[in-house]
Amino acid sequence: MKSVSELWAYRNLTYNLAQRELRSRYKKSLLGWLWSLLNPASVLAVYTLVFGYFFNNQAPTAGNGSTSVFALYLFAGLWVWNLFNGTVLGAIAALQSSGPLLNKVYFPPACPALANTITVLLQALIEAGILLFIMILLGNVGWMLVLFPLLILCITLFSVGVGLALSVYNVFYRDVNYLVTIGMNVLFYATPIIYPIALVQSKSMTLARIMELNPIAQYVQWSRDIFYGLTMPSAFSLIVVPLASFAVFVLGLVIFNRKSRDIAQEL
Amino acid sequence: MNAIEVHDVSKRFRLYKDRPGSVKQLFTKFGRPKYDDFWAVRNVSLDINEASVAGLIGHNGCGKSTLLRMMAGIHFPTSGTVATRGRISALLELGAGFHPELTGRENVYLNASILGLSRKQTDAIFDRIVDFSGLSAFIDSPVKHYSSGMYVRLGFSVAVHVDPQILLVDEVIAVGDEDFQRRCLDHLAGLKASGVTIVLVSHNLGVIGDLCDQVTWMDHGVVRDSGEPSSVIANYLHEVNSVEAERLRLEAEAAGLLPTPAKATESEMVDDSGTPVEFAVTGQPINLRVALPEALAAEEHTYSLMIQTESGVVVGETEMSSPMAQPGPLADGYTIRCRFDPLLLAPGIYEGRVRVHGGKTVRAEAIRDFGFAFRVRAESSPPGGLLRLPATWLEDNGR
Repeated sequence: MKSVSELWAYRNLTYNLAQRELRSRYKKSLLGWLWSLLNPASVLAVYTLVFGYFFNNQAPTAGNGSTSVFALYLFAGLWVWNLFNGTVLGAIAALQSSGPLLNKVYFPPACPALANTITVLLQALIEAGILLFIMILLGNVGWMLVLFPLLILCITLFSVGVGLALSVYNVFYRDVNYLVTIGMNVLFYATPIIYPIALVQSKSMTLARIMELNPIAQYVQWSRDIFYGLTMPSAFSLIVVPLASFAVFVLGLVIFNRKSRDIAQEL
Repeated sequence: MNAIEVHDVSKRFRLYKDRPGSVKQLFTKFGRPKYDDFWAVRNVSLDINEASVAGLIGHNGCGKSTLLRMMAGIHFPTSGTVATRGRISALLELGAGFHPELTGRENVYLNASILGLSRKQTDAIFDRIVDFSGLSAFIDSPVKHYSSGMYVRLGFSVAVHVDPQILLVDEVIAVGDEDFQRRCLDHLAGLKASGVTIVLVSHNLGVIGDLCDQVTWMDHGVVRDSGEPSSVIANYLHEVNSVEAERLRLEAEAAGLLPTPAKATESEMVDDSGTPVEFAVTGQPINLRVALPEALAAEEHTYSLMIQTESGVVVGETEMSSPMAQPGPLADGYTIRCRFDPLLLAPGIYEGRVRVHGGKTVRAEAIRDFGFAFRVRAESSPPGGLLRLPATWLEDNGR
């Protein structure tokens, strides 16, 4: 509890670190902020070409009953993944790179990771905004969009919890970083983002069940429900996902606080 | 009321000989990891009053900085507790957290927030920060174009203006030019007057003696002495001096120069009981004893002694008003002694030049001239300049 109030007291630092990151990110580049759009756009283009066209994955029909665009179906899952991926990897990098600073002055060591989360969150909001804009153009929107703030809160809490816990272990054992890089790669393909879960269900129902235990798959499913399919997530998921997300966040914070006491001398 | 309470604090660092830097090694090197325990600070207790200035002195690696970092909350004590009251601003490295690509203005805001200030609070002190640093012309250019001195000035300026209740300063004032150093010291004195608790780590004993209300001398992680600045500094200097005397003696011994009593030395310093010492101490009596390097044939001899610094500045001269009692030729190795009580020279290395005059006064022709070097050390905070001026202070008010 004390650590939370301390984080709150240092919120201006978190904000300023995020601002520093954002300001320095695109300095000296011609396109500047456009890069934050070009990057996901290129990924989306490649995935759409390879998995939608070459592999001929079909998107289910969208909520308005007429649209079926694989790129949008993909994008509704991809932005969730980007948020998770960016937060976790960013947290690890942020703590590691703030070592020199933590050795000189005291501040809550979670601040750099949280600052990074803000920048990633901003990017996610831009991506989700673009998705929403296109959906509006296609007339594929519904009232379940009210769940969007809850969804983004849940993903963020979950990702921050995971990121904080991993980042503090990474200080003691740098292998964590490499393991996480591999793990993220595996997790990406284990999550039905570039393919519909129906594809797995058609092969093996058991495997599909196991894959649905993957928390990221739940978030992706939520996002697809509210942006693409225009359905409500199941009642079970509506209760369990927010609770689980919050639990992971608290757990991550506890682990971080317990291990980060002696962190300055290890960095 | 104590602003800082350090209670029985110890800090252990583990010096890994072959650190398991990976998970693989963690498993392959099963059993105890190989490391040495290093206790940087051991069982230190220290109370620092609110609105006082405390100094930490001691040789390099004695644990002063570790103690300071524990007060700042950067390191967590292995055992014991450190309690602090109020906002802490630590000056362990100036300009820590500056981002080279950002402008001075942006960095001021960033750095202030690292020290725990809100944006509004920073707005309020921004102009004073820039004024103090003297960088208003460059405040909107990226700090990567700053010189290292400018960098440090901006960093110091932020750190002292964030309105700390406790200011921890680790030997950072030594950077920056003379003018800036003086402004820093003035500012610290001003903060002290306004009720800020300051902890200073410094090797500049003059600064420590001037600013501090209490001084703690640390040695290999433990507190050797704590309390009144002048007495702690004196004890510390005494220890440093005796260590140096021992070193000089060992060096002389190693070089085969250890004197055989009678005549091999041309000069030595002895205290009033006749025991040779390695150096004189400012404010205490000392005898300079000089042996003539060769026989002198004149009937009467008068001596004068001129003292100059290593760089050749003449400090002063002393001469005999009448010739020595012993008339007639002097043998090789004949010793004469010049007694100072007290010696007023400030600490340093000096050269003495003895001149022997063949007559009743020093106006007689100089027949022999020779020099020797000697050292002076301080056992209390040393005077500035070359001499401690002998003077008495009186108050003439109301007359």
